[in-house]
Amino acid sequence: MKEIILALAIIIVAPILGGILHGVDRVITARMQGRVGPPLLQPFYDVFKLLGKEAVAVNQRQVFWGLAYLALIIASLLCFFLGGDLLITVFIMAFAAIAFVLGGYSVKSPYSHIGSQRELLQMLAYEPILILMAIAVYLKTGTFMIKDLFNQPQPLLFSMPLIFLALTIILTIKMRKSPFDLSTSHHGHQELIKGITTEYSGPYLAIIEITHWYEQVLVLGLVAMFWVQPIWAGIALAAIVFVIELVIDNISARLTWDWMLKFTWGSGLILCLVNLAYLFARGMGGI
Amino acid sequence: MQNREILMAVLIWLPAIAAIILFMSRHSYKLRNLVTWSVGIILAACSMGILLNGPFEYQPQGILGISWDTVITIADFCLLAFILYIGIQRRHALIILLGIVQILMVMYFEFSLGGGHIAITPVFVIDDLAIIMALIINIIGSLICIYGIKYISEHEEHHHVVKTRQHRFMFWLVIFLGAMNGIVFSNNLYWMIFFWEATTLCSFQLISHDLSQEAVKNACRALWMNLLGGVAFTGGLIYLVGIDSGKYLSVKYLLENANTPEVKGVLLLGIALLIFAGMTKSAQLPFQSWLLGAMVAPTPVSALLHSSTMVKAGVYLILRLAPAYAGTSLSSMVAAAGAFTFLITSFLAVSQSNAKRVLAYSTIANLGLIVACAGINTPTAISAAIVLIIFHAVSKGLLFLCTGFIEHNIGSRDIEDMEGLADRMPLTTIFVTIGIITMFLPPFGMLVGKWAAIEAASELPVIVLMFVMASAITALFWIKWLGRMLQGTSGEPGQKKESMAAHYLVSLGGLSVAAVLLGIFLIPVIRGLIIPVVQQYYGSPGLIAGGGAISSGQTGAFVFWPLFVLLVLVIVISRLIYSQGGKQATVYLCGENYGLPDSTSYMTTGEAVTELKLSNYYFGNVLDEVRWNKVVNVLAGILIIILVGVTVI
Repeated sequence: MKEIILALAIIIVAPILGGILHGVDRVITARMQGRVGPPLLQPFYDVFKLLGKEAVAVNQRQVFWGLAYLALIIASLLCFFLGGDLLITVFIMAFAAIAFVLGGYSVKSPYSHIGSQRELLQMLAYEPILILMAIAVYLKTGTFMIKDLFNQPQPLLFSMPLIFLALTIILTIKMRKSPFDLSTSHHGHQELIKGITTEYSGPYLAIIEITHWYEQVLVLGLVAMFWVQPIWAGIALAAIVFVIELVIDNISARLTWDWMLKFTWGSGLILCLVNLAYLFARGMGGI
Repeated sequence: MQNREILMAVLIWLPAIAAIILFMSRHSYKLRNLVTWSVGIILAACSMGILLNGPFEYQPQGILGISWDTVITIADFCLLAFILYIGIQRRHALIILLGIVQILMVMYFEFSLGGGHIAITPVFVIDDLAIIMALIINIIGSLICIYGIKYISEHEEHHHVVKTRQHRFMFWLVIFLGAMNGIVFSNNLYWMIFFWEATTLCSFQLISHDLSQEAVKNACRALWMNLLGGVAFTGGLIYLVGIDSGKYLSVKYLLENANTPEVKGVLLLGIALLIFAGMTKSAQLPFQSWLLGAMVAPTPVSALLHSSTMVKAGVYLILRLAPAYAGTSLSSMVAAAGAFTFLITSFLAVSQSNAKRVLAYSTIANLGLIVACAGINTPTAISAAIVLIIFHAVSKGLLFLCTGFIEHNIGSRDIEDMEGLADRMPLTTIFVTIGIITMFLPPFGMLVGKWAAIEAASELPVIVLMFVMASAITALFWIKWLGRMLQGTSGEPGQKKESMAAHYLVSLGGLSVAAVLLGIFLIPVIRGLIIPVVQQYYGSPGLIAGGGAISSGQTGAFVFWPLFVLLVLVIVISRLIYSQGGKQATVYLCGENYGLPDSTSYMTTGEAVTELKLSNYYFGNVLDEVRWNKVVNVLAGILIIILVGVTVI
């Protein structure tokens, strides 16, 4: 019973938090560009307006996969915040991303086609790092269960600094920020239009937008996981990383997918492996 | 004979008898149809009967005063002579050579060592692993045979075959099931190799069925590679028979004494040779080319080879023997070789646009994962391997049958030609979607297997890295295929319903339902079948299943039923919303398609209507199959040599 109430609370609070974060994002970005920017609650105004519009879709598959994206992101969010298996959380996140990709593929549109293709490559870039992160957590703590991370004597960040760094790299991909806003982005790009979400409009686009809010909370949750005790330290860590991502977004240009793949598989994986090797070597010596 | 013994006899003998009837029913489609349906239903029912009965052992008495060992020996020589004859007929030096070598080896084994007449009791041991395999072979295999009867008649129509060979095709297809049942029930390794070589012969005959130059060439390759495995298998037998007066020819005895210094020491070379045989049969690198070449055969053959028979015999043997080599460096090498195959073939699958080749590479990759799990050899890894065998068989069978059905409808097996099939063949697209999702995504069985495999491999850094990279790339080749099938324009409510012949509906629908239901009832499957067998050989359950969750001991858990509820909700709600919804939109093309009736084309200068064309990426310049194979085969060859080599040092 307690779990159900907690789950409901997460389902309600997470999008509010995510929406506010998007508002903060827009305000800070505007300030960095010397603009005043929209009000903090602008993302909510946008979504409410979208929800009130007429429902127009190209076909039913599009609607199905869009909803599946939302449902699966919520599932992985619950798996994570209810203290479930970290590896399973990552796998459900992958299914969610795949649902998003298939939603884009469901329409014969050059823009959503190219967006979906790129989103798939983005998945390819970050998926190994997320799984390796889960394995590193296991090697360090002897468990994949997130609820057991609260019993650790010291924050994960101390023993997994390089993996944390790799996570911040892929965070840029997951938040769809420059230099990795390849599949879709908050700004229109000429060759992409709106990329993978081009063919979503009205309430369906609102669903995608809300899903992105949930996703934002989830990826920042992954950051906070590196310092769970005391909890405010984790939140502070997530907030710092969030701001850094905004800075990176504003000072960098968009790059190509092959650069992204080389960079994440090159530096990201090497960071993970070095860190894993360290954990492994220490494990051999008896923890 | 008791009931359960009759059931077992039916599973081995009925396919043989039915195959002869099918062979004689050359002029009657109706008779073939009737026989195949009834055999399929009986086999499926008998395998269920075996399941309900539970594990048992059986020692058959002789027939007409001749012992069964003699019968098997004679049959084995006939089989090898036939293979030799094929080699001579096709003028294939390698087949002739390997055939002669194997005949000489069997003669040495039989007459000099007396290996065929060492009393191995019981001859048949049916434990839970054998029961699982029997269910896979007889239920999925039967569905494929039923599909095959219709498919092959259409196939001959398409190819304008004058002199029908359908009876011959069905003969080999059905007898294959009997041979597979023989492999999984045999406790006596000498019996097992007879059935083993029988499947090799069946696969040769089925691959070469069309008798085109390519078909014969590829069938010959399959034959010599599997004969090589057969030679290794026979070598293993000769080695084993020399130790402790041949008691170790009994798999049961071998596993009961798995932790003796003898098994973990001198016996390992013999076991390594058997593993080598299993790897050829499962098309592990560098033997992958025979399975890829087998694609030329009519699709039911591919479905059968890839899902329920042939390649599964290889992993079955490797898994069967796993407790015997647990904790040795041989085991680590098996894990490394399997993981290497998993990694490389997953990458190569991305470069293929031929749907059957994508499926083939994915099969080899998944078998690699299963072999790697056997090599990791912890209770959790072994459980993962069994889960993977079950779910791979169902989903891969389904996907092959779908591809065959699509090919007969659109005349192509190229993924690029499948664009927008969701609009034209909605039901088939649903089946393909189920096949692909159950192949690698949560909450379905394959993912549970992969999850358990990764958790089991966590402390082996090199292996786990290969697992992680391979499973990341898996998503790429599946989804870009499925994406092409979904890519359509309109979802008019009045779109035409797709019709299917009963043969297709039963096989495709049956496998789809099985894939989903097995996923939902994964906990009973694990508790009822997998935990007992892992417990029996490893003394620890490996996976813990109950209370709606599966867990790998203390370290992780997967509460997976909410995901099923969620997916059902998404299906219902999206239907509701869409049927309530407003307008149908056209695709956005920056206005260039304004005024055109459909949105698959746009206007260029001078009002020229131009068709919109999309295509997928295959990264052919990086993932060049030919170039990769040169390097990969050498590396894999070295791995295999080390694998056998570590047992000698």
